[in-house]
Amino acid sequence: MKEINFEHRMGAHCESGTVTSLLNHKGLEITEPMVFGIAGNIFFGYFESSNFPFPTFIVRNRPGSIRKNIAKNLGVKFYTKDFKSREQGEKMLDDLISKEIVTAVQVDFYYMDYMPEWQRAHINVHFVNVIGRNENEYLLSDSYFPKKSTLTIPKLTKARFAGGFMAPKGFLFYPQSIPSDIDFEKAIRKGIKKAAYNMTKLPVPFVGVKGIRKFARKVTDWPKLARDTDHLSHEIMKINILLEDQGTGGAGFRYLYASFLQQAAEILNDDQLKKMSKQMMEIGDNWRNISYFAAKIGKTRDLGPERLKELSNMINDMADQEQPFFTELYKIVK
Amino acid sequence: MTEAEIAGLKIEIKEVILQALNIKNIKPGNIQDNVPLFARDNILGLDSIDAIELIMAIQKHFKVRIADQNLARHILESIDTIADFLIKEKQKA
Repeated sequence: MKEINFEHRMGAHCESGTVTSLLNHKGLEITEPMVFGIAGNIFFGYFESSNFPFPTFIVRNRPGSIRKNIAKNLGVKFYTKDFKSREQGEKMLDDLISKEIVTAVQVDFYYMDYMPEWQRAHINVHFVNVIGRNENEYLLSDSYFPKKSTLTIPKLTKARFAGGFMAPKGFLFYPQSIPSDIDFEKAIRKGIKKAAYNMTKLPVPFVGVKGIRKFARKVTDWPKLARDTDHLSHEIMKINILLEDQGTGGAGFRYLYASFLQQAAEILNDDQLKKMSKQMMEIGDNWRNISYFAAKIGKTRDLGPERLKELSNMINDMADQEQPFFTELYKIVK
Repeated sequence: MTEAEIAGLKIEIKEVILQALNIKNIKPGNIQDNVPLFARDNILGLDSIDAIELIMAIQKHFKVRIADQNLARHILESIDTIADFLIKEKQKA
């Protein structure tokens, strides 16, 4: 097995974890919450359209935006490429490994068979670092898994070229160069400003705090959209999955963002940010209460109008908490 | 912690799990310490939705915070791993 000397670390989220490990490997000392925060990735969006079989929501910005915003705010230059041909995609990855270049690849999470079966689902935007290869297997560093893992060559290729929504198309990336004189204070301010803008000022009715309020209003109508009680129960329980699972770091990324604010407060020597970090942790606790409530009423099929109204009120409370929070945060870094 | 204290902690964890998930037909002694809690053949028959209930119950009962969901997956792997986590948290305090 050809193995590149690489320190494996677990992460809260696959994209921020993968990018953090790549930057660390390339010599930049930076934590995962810092990568997430500088990329301004905390978010909320409520979506209902013909593209989705049922209304859904997201709690972070779109996949790929962490890498792009880190490139923009820290000046890191990433090499990126996707492929039409499996053969070319496989060949390029193998060439990079032979040159000892650790490379991140986008994959369908379902094929990561070192993970327990119950955790695996078809999600086309999982990221892992490839750190070695032999005749039969690739050696991977997956931030969701406690140790380095292996995957057969055909399986990784299948995962890289899976079809469907947001198909990976063999996408790979790695950092080519990192500036030696990064202004972290400036980058932190830019990241916070972007996140706070997205959450409070972006003129889109389904994004940010407006999106949370829309979610609160619309969730009481979900019974009209569901085929039957089983379907409604499934969709309500999915609220818990979207907030707590799928690499959110818990509570819809709010805990990860709280850690970022705590570290940012130290770098900027700003007590107000430190206070905001504690507030964000409490906001995270309240999102987690929603996860718990949704899981409970979904599982017990306790889905009458009163329960959904209760859920709606809890979600609306989050908008009431995040509106002043991000407004204040925007003012701090303006 | 002594071996007896660790054994006591594991019983307490099992009781918290059974109470949180309202499981009445299983006794703490029937739950094995090292068997994955979410495996299909586990006596508890847990699913991923139960994970959030377990996290909330453990946080509340033992006054700890399990913020990182990825970490939570591994903490909740078995009774042994939950106990390991709680022992480490106690040492930190």
